[in-house]
Amino acid sequence: MRRTVGATLIAALFVGLGVAGCGDDDDSGGGGSGGSINVAMVDNPQMKDIAKLTPSLFTKKSGIKVNYTVLDEGTLREVTTRDVAAGGRQFDVVMIGPFEAPQFGQNGFITDLTKFSASDSAYQVDDIIPAVRNALSLDGKLYAAPFYGESSFLMYRKDVLQKAGLTMPAQPTWAQVADIARKVNTPEMAGICLRGKPGWGDLGASFTTVLNTMGGTWWSAKPDGSVDTAMVDQPEFKNALQFYVDLIKDAGEKDAAGASFNECLSQYKDGKVAMWYDATVAAGLLEADDSAVKGKNGYAPAPVDKTQASGWLWSWALAIPSTSTQADKAWKFISFATGPQYLKEAGTKVPGGWAAIPPGTRKSTYQIPQYKKAAAAFAQPTLDSISAAPIDNPGTTKRPGLPGVQYVGIPEFQDVGNQCTQQFSAVIAGRTPIDTALSNCQDVASGVGG
Amino acid sequence: MTTTVRPRIGRVIPPKAGRDSLLSESWRRRLPLLPALLFMILLTQVPFVMSVYYSLTDWKIVPPGPREYVGLDNYQHLLHDHFFGSAIWVSIQLTVFPVIVSLVLGTAIAVLLDRKFFGRGVVRTMLITPFLLTPVVIGLIWKNQMFHGLYGVINWVIEKLGGTPVEFVSEHPTLSIAITLVWQWTPFMMLIMLAGLQSMPQDVVEAAKVDGAAPFGIFRQLTLGHLRPYMELGVLLGSIYLIQLYDQIAVMTGGGPGSTNVPYYVYQRSIGGGWEFGQASSYSIVVVIASIVIATFALRVLSGLLKGEAAA
Repeated sequence: MRRTVGATLIAALFVGLGVAGCGDDDDSGGGGSGGSINVAMVDNPQMKDIAKLTPSLFTKKSGIKVNYTVLDEGTLREVTTRDVAAGGRQFDVVMIGPFEAPQFGQNGFITDLTKFSASDSAYQVDDIIPAVRNALSLDGKLYAAPFYGESSFLMYRKDVLQKAGLTMPAQPTWAQVADIARKVNTPEMAGICLRGKPGWGDLGASFTTVLNTMGGTWWSAKPDGSVDTAMVDQPEFKNALQFYVDLIKDAGEKDAAGASFNECLSQYKDGKVAMWYDATVAAGLLEADDSAVKGKNGYAPAPVDKTQASGWLWSWALAIPSTSTQADKAWKFISFATGPQYLKEAGTKVPGGWAAIPPGTRKSTYQIPQYKKAAAAFAQPTLDSISAAPIDNPGTTKRPGLPGVQYVGIPEFQDVGNQCTQQFSAVIAGRTPIDTALSNCQDVASGVGG
Repeated sequence: MTTTVRPRIGRVIPPKAGRDSLLSESWRRRLPLLPALLFMILLTQVPFVMSVYYSLTDWKIVPPGPREYVGLDNYQHLLHDHFFGSAIWVSIQLTVFPVIVSLVLGTAIAVLLDRKFFGRGVVRTMLITPFLLTPVVIGLIWKNQMFHGLYGVINWVIEKLGGTPVEFVSEHPTLSIAITLVWQWTPFMMLIMLAGLQSMPQDVVEAAKVDGAAPFGIFRQLTLGHLRPYMELGVLLGSIYLIQLYDQIAVMTGGGPGSTNVPYYVYQRSIGGGWEFGQASSYSIVVVIASIVIATFALRVLSGLLKGEAAA
């Protein structure tokens, strides 16, 4: 009798576990009357803003529920590449940039958006800033719709430089900037904040622009545009890296080897650094209503050395993986998120105010009166930097691969960039000698191409 | 209720199973375990065999290309890969140091907790808390609140004492991660040692005291001897977990020389940006084989745990 009861209980337990494991299927099909889509985005403030506003501004009108997956840049790339390149089928919309868009488009991993954008008159595809649109296209086909566009420039505290009796030239050189940084550097306030965190999109982006303008390059190119030899062992590369490392050591922020956009942003807002070379998008956050340094900042073009311009070109843009079965709904969302209407509505709804709406995508943004007023300090420098970004010829020599400023447009750059920036970050931290790091990086970079 | 069998001269035939069962006794014991065994084989051995297959190919997904059989090329490349060698050394450092230090600290705290004092329950609960936190949270707390150059508590204390701040995570990544691991694992060791201490027979201790033994002598000769199987258990469990460490590395340093251990290196070569599944599979196969060798050696030769089982 006892044995039967015990056996029945155990059987019931197994059945219960089995049923529990089978449940929980709440993806597409649930949600609003229009279905739902899955969107992967990066965790920058403008993206978090739109995630909060989507239910009221989009879902209510279209009935399409949007399931956001908000990730940090590294994890987002991992997830996106896996989903798009290895056929993961998890997302209907993914956020990518000018590095991935032409490559994925070339391989057929993402849908050509030209048809969608042409037939959607509210979208006004010709309003998109040409430099940004071209960066996200290949052979004239638009593969990703820009959510925001950025270049890089130098942000500095006008009051701090004034007190030290220094002025920032209209187009500074790296030598001038380094000089100013070392002069204003004090124990309480570092001279400049530069990225030092490992990652091809972190330290890699910042450093590559310096490398470009100082006449160095990652690889030389064959006439057909493919990779020739790794140039990490060349004197130009070492000079650029030595300059970067020395500037951080002498006048850089605390914990530089772990510092990326967010860390420099908080140190700048806290008054712990006097200058900051990073994305133009940062300006909107520095001039936001809730910023402690609002109104105190000057904006200069990215410092140069041997080239005319050195600002990078990046855009976080939305693309539709070709494996998605809901391309129409996905386009409706993309049209909302990257169309002119959201930009007009967001200004009054996001916490940072008009200065914090997604910049750098459309010419019409810069015509909105409230935006022109709130972004007066940085709107024109931003537009100028984006237009001047030397995407087709960033340095003094020919580059292999697809166009790019702060990266090399070959798929292997992700891996080489990650491994090399880990070495360089260790040099910044003082743990590895620069020659060891360069030699390790040369080994890694030589594994690419012929 | 066995049927009697007429014994043959000089031979004893064991009775067969009763007539109300089709299967022998031993099969009746094993059959209910079969689903669990099948499940385990499916989930661990099938992927393992597939990993072995992948390690013999040159499978990369960026740039996409056909998957071709290349034999032992990946293993040859592995032998010359000095990043893999560094990863192994970091793995050893990040396993041995935290296990030993947390064992020593855990034992010390357990000895202190073994006697009654006012508030013992509260203190014990507070001491267990680090083990209950998510490893990612532990990494972030230590990186941003304790170790940080500007905002960290440790550097604040150093500055108050007149020293210059140290950037722990940037300058000493292995040590920083090891410290967070010690903080996380000391409660675990403490609990195991407490169980050991509380199961110690007190009559032997009292006899030793009557004989005039000093407290430290008692500890060294009696307590430690009794605690040995518990220590071995703690070391075994701690090592098994720490070999697989990933969270603190990802959150505190993002990899890099000095903080990339083997699991993190395999992650970097596969889905973390390398997208070289063939090469990464070969690393993980090598690690599995090494782990089996080390674990077998440790369990059979060094440990008294299994010997104790055989005796009992």
